[in-house]
Amino acid sequence: MNLANLLHNYEEAVAMILFGIGFSNLLLQKNLIKKIIGFNIMDTSMYLFLALKGFVEGRKAPIVVDGVQSVEAYINPIPSGLVLTGIVVSVSVSALMLSLTIRLYQRYHTLDLDEISTQLKKEGL
Amino acid sequence: MAFVQNFPFMSIILSLFSGPISSVLSGKKAKWLNMAVITVIGCMSGAVLAYVLGTGESYVYTMGHFSAPWGNEIRVGVLEAAMALFFCVIMLLSMLGGARERLLEIEESKQNLYYIMVNLLLCSLLALIYTNDLFTAYVFVEINTISACGLIMIRQNGRTIEAATRYMIMSLLGSGLLLLGICFLYDLTGHLLMSNIKEQVALLHQSGEYHIPLLVSVGLMSVGLAIKSALYPFHTWLPDAYGYSTLSSAAILSSLVSKGYIFLLVKIFYRVIGFDIVRDSKVVNVLFVFGLAGMILGSVSAIREGNIRRMIAFSSVAQIGYIYMGFGLGTVSGMIASIYHVVSHAATKSLLFVSASGITDVSGDSTDFFDLTGAGYRNKLAGVAFTVGSLAMVGFPMFSGFISKLLFAQAAVESVNKMLPTLIALAISTILNAVYFMKTVIRLYTPEKKAALEKKNFHSIKMWDQPSKSIALICFIALNILLGLSSDPVVSLIRSGLKMFT
Amino acid sequence: MNTWILLPIFLPIAVGIGLLFSSFRMHLKMTGEGAAPAAENTNLIHGIAGAVLGISAAAALVCAWTGEKSVILFYLMKDVPIYFHIDKTGSLFVTVMSLVWLAVCIYAFVYMKHEGEEARFFGFYLVVYGVLVALDFSGNLVTLYFFYELMTLSSMPLVLHNGSREAIMAALKYLFYSMCGAYLGLFAIFFLYRYCDTLAFTAGGSLNQALIQGNEGIVRIAVLAMVVGFGAKAGMFPLHAWLPAAHPVAPTPASAALSGIIVKCGVLAIIRGVYYVVGAEFVRGTWVQTVWMTISLLTVFMGSMLAYREPVLKKRLAYSTVSQVSYILFGLSVLSPTGMAGALLHTVFHAFIKAALFMTAGIFLFRKGKSRVDDYVGIGKEMPVTLWCYTFASLALVGIPPTSGFISKWYLAQGALQGDIGVFRYVGPAVLLVSALLTAGYLLPVTMKGFLPGKDRSVHTGKETIDRMTVMLVIMALAAVVLGIFPNPLVGYTSEIAASLM
Repeated sequence: MNLANLLHNYEEAVAMILFGIGFSNLLLQKNLIKKIIGFNIMDTSMYLFLALKGFVEGRKAPIVVDGVQSVEAYINPIPSGLVLTGIVVSVSVSALMLSLTIRLYQRYHTLDLDEISTQLKKEGL
Repeated sequence: MAFVQNFPFMSIILSLFSGPISSVLSGKKAKWLNMAVITVIGCMSGAVLAYVLGTGESYVYTMGHFSAPWGNEIRVGVLEAAMALFFCVIMLLSMLGGARERLLEIEESKQNLYYIMVNLLLCSLLALIYTNDLFTAYVFVEINTISACGLIMIRQNGRTIEAATRYMIMSLLGSGLLLLGICFLYDLTGHLLMSNIKEQVALLHQSGEYHIPLLVSVGLMSVGLAIKSALYPFHTWLPDAYGYSTLSSAAILSSLVSKGYIFLLVKIFYRVIGFDIVRDSKVVNVLFVFGLAGMILGSVSAIREGNIRRMIAFSSVAQIGYIYMGFGLGTVSGMIASIYHVVSHAATKSLLFVSASGITDVSGDSTDFFDLTGAGYRNKLAGVAFTVGSLAMVGFPMFSGFISKLLFAQAAVESVNKMLPTLIALAISTILNAVYFMKTVIRLYTPEKKAALEKKNFHSIKMWDQPSKSIALICFIALNILLGLSSDPVVSLIRSGLKMFT
Repeated sequence: MNTWILLPIFLPIAVGIGLLFSSFRMHLKMTGEGAAPAAENTNLIHGIAGAVLGISAAAALVCAWTGEKSVILFYLMKDVPIYFHIDKTGSLFVTVMSLVWLAVCIYAFVYMKHEGEEARFFGFYLVVYGVLVALDFSGNLVTLYFFYELMTLSSMPLVLHNGSREAIMAALKYLFYSMCGAYLGLFAIFFLYRYCDTLAFTAGGSLNQALIQGNEGIVRIAVLAMVVGFGAKAGMFPLHAWLPAAHPVAPTPASAALSGIIVKCGVLAIIRGVYYVVGAEFVRGTWVQTVWMTISLLTVFMGSMLAYREPVLKKRLAYSTVSQVSYILFGLSVLSPTGMAGALLHTVFHAFIKAALFMTAGIFLFRKGKSRVDDYVGIGKEMPVTLWCYTFASLALVGIPPTSGFISKWYLAQGALQGDIGVFRYVGPAVLLVSALLTAGYLLPVTMKGFLPGKDRSVHTGKETIDRMTVMLVIMALAAVVLGIFPNPLVGYTSEIAASLM
């Protein structure tokens, strides 16, 4: 693993750094909205990674416009398909998280999860 | 192709579609639909199991006629069919046992929503069991998480929403890691179907190329799934989620949801990477250490807990630790022991949750330890059921827990390095279990003074006051004793199922 | 004919459970709304318990003394049957147990009047008897373990009978120590399962010589774990502390049963494990034997010392049990036929003697309501018969000829002197002698102060009530003495067993 390798694969490196940023935000942020943002960064970094893997220099998307060419001319459509599926999943999860956040905010008027826990203890539930 | 072979696919589709249908039904009708769907799927899984046992080999079912490297596949072997059947049984009994609580604790207008979630959960569990495609597995892992979250928060109070949020956060961390692992593997091998990946991984392993990325991806997937199934240091969401959600949710979550992830992990070990490669990597050692820590520290937390439902929840943490410890042994017999423990723990834990609710019913809905005094006399069946569940957890002979401990210990004896820590942790954890479960059982059968009873206005429940719960409890008890007394068919089923995996 | 073995096992268990249900129903009535607490029909309970115990004991004795029999109940796991087999050792143990159990039962009919909850007590009492018979008849190590655990569980309610906080803590302590011990035993079973040809008991052991080649160290550790673990039940150091905690709070019949019989189950388990599975040859001359002899002698001495300092009579007797049962364990650890015969003889004699001593303590407690030794000054004037019985039993325990204790101790000392055990040849008998003196020192003062209170005490003199309790006490005390006067049949029988094992 030398520096040249890393520079050569700089897109993947960026994806991994983004993943790290997102992951640590999701894990460490106290604010729920920031957590959700972290989650979205994390998932987006994965789409970046998949899209990178699906892209081959000099090939076209597998959409037939001017007659079928050899297989070599097209990229594999599956990674793009995976990205789309992933986006659907992350959108639904984000929606759910946001709705949960709204519920909590309405009840406790704060977005800080730890503070919510202390309030809950006070309630004695 | 025999008609039976369509059943796994049909059962996934059936549960998937019964979800949307439930949304336009009334709560009561949705409940019956849900029961019917679970029963039908259970019967279908039984038929599939019989078929696979008959042919003696697994089969692959291609979806939409796209053949191997491109299409999506379902793969059915003995273990898959048996798990599907078992999950249906446990789910049906848990739903039966919690029927009354659902009516009381869920708003009238949201009753049918609950069944949507249950149907979706069943669908995703079945998909996790049957699928042969890693990315499909990821998608259904997320569906599983979302529906489980719905099950937690449908009983509306501050605790459950907070618990659901915490659950979501931990789950998202886990599934993020899982996705990353899957993408790495896809990058390395260029395939998403488990069998194809396995061929490529074997080639890579032989050539010695990409050793570290392979290791990283195995590690990421294992840790991701471990987080999702509440292995010890990642268990913080669990006590609240199990402790305050409605009864059938707690039972289903504890006995099925985490087990679905664990089953997926088993599949990844066997069907995707190959068990030998997993064993040679050091990932299993990490799982082993976390498992041991969970076994002991989960039990310690349970001892210090005064709320009976949270106590049972903490005991789940310890039991999940057992399962990962079995994986960590890195032997086939350890694997068999773990899978057996998945079964026995699912049967026992849902029994404990249902019986604990029967006990708290007659103690003024208090979950506090001291209010439970004499509850065994006020609700006979629940008392007996709780005792049976406790003994099974402690690992007394005659009940299912004993067999799984026996299997774990036998597996431990085979592996030289891990033998001592395993046996010591098993011993400590068994004894700690005995302390808090027996303490509770004795409390249940300590007679309460009559005056105190009248003051607290406790009433008693006869067996047939709540027929559905009683039926569920009786079935659970029977299941536990059955597993404890004649474990051999189950163990040999698991063994042959694992053989089919490779 | 073989299946008749099951009668003395399952009849008392079934009837015992029936009695427990009746006790349970009574509690329900008490806790139910408005209903007046119903009185127990004690005569009926006594009738049932007595009749069932009589029939079962008769059946057990007939089975035991009509030749060898075996029956396989069912298969717990593959190749692991629950299997009963009657041999000479089992016959000896079952005979002693049945006789003492029956006598204590009749004693309890009177005694339990002031403890109450008789249905529950006799229910568990019957269940434990069935389990004990099963334990004596068990034909392999797993069966033994199975019933060993069941015995711990079913005898625990006898300890916590009065339901006070102290009693519950003592019961938990009992459970805790027994579980620790049983787990150590289980640990050994796992190893032996691997290194033995069969776990079925065969005289001389069934270790597979080819397999243990090179693994002797670990198998020896397992053997020691087994000795220490099952020794917990026998009150051996370091797991002895449950005995003095459990005895004072348990009702006297339960103490008599615990001390006389249940501790002997630990002895039986060790005999089975060491002499019938591992084989004496494997242990002889190894460090395991040295450690075993050291801790048993240590326990002999420590128990006597603690008893000497203890003011509460029942607790003093409990410490005495700790000490005396370790005599037996020392006899076993010598691994010579004479020592073994001595150990078996002491098992028999100690059962009768300790039952008699506890019966005395119970009668004092029942009539006077006081538990400390100082309170019994002058009691001989009041209850001469009881105190005479106590005195004879004490003399027997000390080992004054011609009482029974002398015979067994003679054989124990002979065994030690003849054995090839190095320095222990002299240390052993010396410790036994010192302990015998201490035994005299802690038992006989009660007699002396009882008959000779001194002049300044006003002593209540009246006619002693002679009831069934006293009769049973006299029978036990007579047995303790008479067996010493006519020991030959018993000596012959035990020597035969010992010779067949070495």
